[in-house]
Amino acid sequence: MNDTILVVGAGPTGLSAAHGIASVGRKVVLVEKEDRLGGAPILSGYAKLVPSGEWAKDAIGRMVQRVEQNQLISVFKDTKVTQFDGGHGDFSATLSNGQTVQASAVVLGTGFTHFDSINKPEWGFGTFADVVTTTQVEQMLVAGKIACPSDGRAPERVAILLCVGSRDRQIGREWCSKICCTVATNQAMEIKELSPKTDVYIYYMDIRTFGLYEDKFYWKSQEEFGTKFVKARIAEVTIAPDGKRLLVKGEDTLVKRPIVIPFDLVVHAIGMDPNEDNPEIAKVFGVGLEHHGFVDRGEHYTSSFASTRPGIYVGGSALGPEDIDTCVSHGLAMAMRAVGDLEARARKAA
Amino acid sequence: MPIHEKSLIDPNQVLSAEKLVIEGVDVSGHWNTMILPRTVADYDPEFQKKIKALPGGENVHRCWQCGSCTNSCTMYAINTDFNPRYWIYCTNLGLQSEIVKDKDIIWQCVSCNKCTNSCPKDVKPEGVMKALQHWLEAEGHVPVSQSTQFDQEFTRQCLERGRIEDSEVMFNFFRKTGVDIVELVKKGWLGVFVARMNNLPLLRDGKLGKFIARLPITGPLKMGWMMLFKPRTRGWGKTGTVLQTYLEEQKHG
Repeated sequence: MNDTILVVGAGPTGLSAAHGIASVGRKVVLVEKEDRLGGAPILSGYAKLVPSGEWAKDAIGRMVQRVEQNQLISVFKDTKVTQFDGGHGDFSATLSNGQTVQASAVVLGTGFTHFDSINKPEWGFGTFADVVTTTQVEQMLVAGKIACPSDGRAPERVAILLCVGSRDRQIGREWCSKICCTVATNQAMEIKELSPKTDVYIYYMDIRTFGLYEDKFYWKSQEEFGTKFVKARIAEVTIAPDGKRLLVKGEDTLVKRPIVIPFDLVVHAIGMDPNEDNPEIAKVFGVGLEHHGFVDRGEHYTSSFASTRPGIYVGGSALGPEDIDTCVSHGLAMAMRAVGDLEARARKAA
Repeated sequence: MPIHEKSLIDPNQVLSAEKLVIEGVDVSGHWNTMILPRTVADYDPEFQKKIKALPGGENVHRCWQCGSCTNSCTMYAINTDFNPRYWIYCTNLGLQSEIVKDKDIIWQCVSCNKCTNSCPKDVKPEGVMKALQHWLEAEGHVPVSQSTQFDQEFTRQCLERGRIEDSEVMFNFFRKTGVDIVELVKKGWLGVFVARMNNLPLLRDGKLGKFIARLPITGPLKMGWMMLFKPRTRGWGKTGTVLQTYLEEQKHG
């Protein structure tokens, strides 16, 4: 039997899985479609991570370094799996570079795709330069300057709109993206730190800073950084008659009145879509997708992180919206599952 | 078609002319009714800061609108227009005009503190009601309340002499609030109070006895004396001036 395990995707999930598998002495082939390791936090240029507060390039950088320096892990960047055959214990994968990999099991850490705000045109992204996404704000935070893209001025007032690309039947996104509330409340604090005179307003339907993110992000943002929370789902973002500021229109459901409020910068707290490559991934690996388009789970309680095909495991944000800490845990859990199942097969055969 | 949520329409926003003719067409009465838009067009971040600077308002920014305060409120049970949750929200967003609209209700808070005991975010809504009431008074939206007048007289004496003189506090309070003191001694509770302090057996019976009983004689005599000569706390010196300056500083941040 082959002792190599194939890990697809080198984000927090894949990096954690690869290192976990190598740590028990198994060989890993790690395949990443982009030209860099690290996944979304690195590719999209995140600033400080939730909840550790560490810079993404430091925290994820350590994970990357640990994998790159490991003799048992072979890394293929700019590479995809194009063909896949065989069964548990004896898979064969053809890579886009022409090489063939023999693997006994597969771990999918194929992640997600950020929601593209162009799909909610009424909220002004793509129409007005000063409507940006949380990803762009992350990049501003890395650069150390919060500015309106239109003219570079520091915004006096910022609106963050929650649930952009989440919880919206109009555009077929019927899930909560789980982490955007926490990211938004955190960004409000970071904006205030960089630009103390800026007032940040968060427009919400609910605040879902789950678990320990409640007081660390939501409460702290409100109580110590003065972030204001307004219960309104915005109908439309337009431009003020002065051609400069943006007008955020909606209904404030707590005062039961229409609102048209001027802002300098409007931020879309974008959600997590299924990886846009999921139809291809599902076809190549022969795994099922659940009805939203994320990779489907097999039976969970006694076969955790199983996909619908034996010998292929799936975890992290490939399964649905997930935060980085959970992805790292999923990666390690999948390493345990993959190696454990192979050990059991070997014992049974002996 | 009926108007949905008609209660939301502010009577001041309704325009209606009794007699109106437009281009020869008589549109008198409700035919010409117009309702001004009630759109919120801006926030005022300074308002929250003002309320936070007043005693009781310190934690107003913590509110997340769960409604525990309104649900537990003694006054809300009697009058559903009494809605602390709503006023706290308006304070945080700076919707001053909404607060002023309810100026004749906010003072009704009975300080039972059920809201403060049930608030999961420690907003201290009872304190916010006090702060809003003080803001309304300070801005002249409502007349200065009796309790504020009492506080003012009390504070004045403290600053001046380092102590208060009970009878002088009461006397000036009655005077400022327009109470007829003579009437109160002759027929009201003050006369009864004084008579009980006098407590002389001879003064209990007969028309004359009852009349004299209500005059400040023994016990009240000392109070009257003190009121005339206004003793100061020993070594009070400039303490009052220092305190006064400190209070002013606190008030104006």
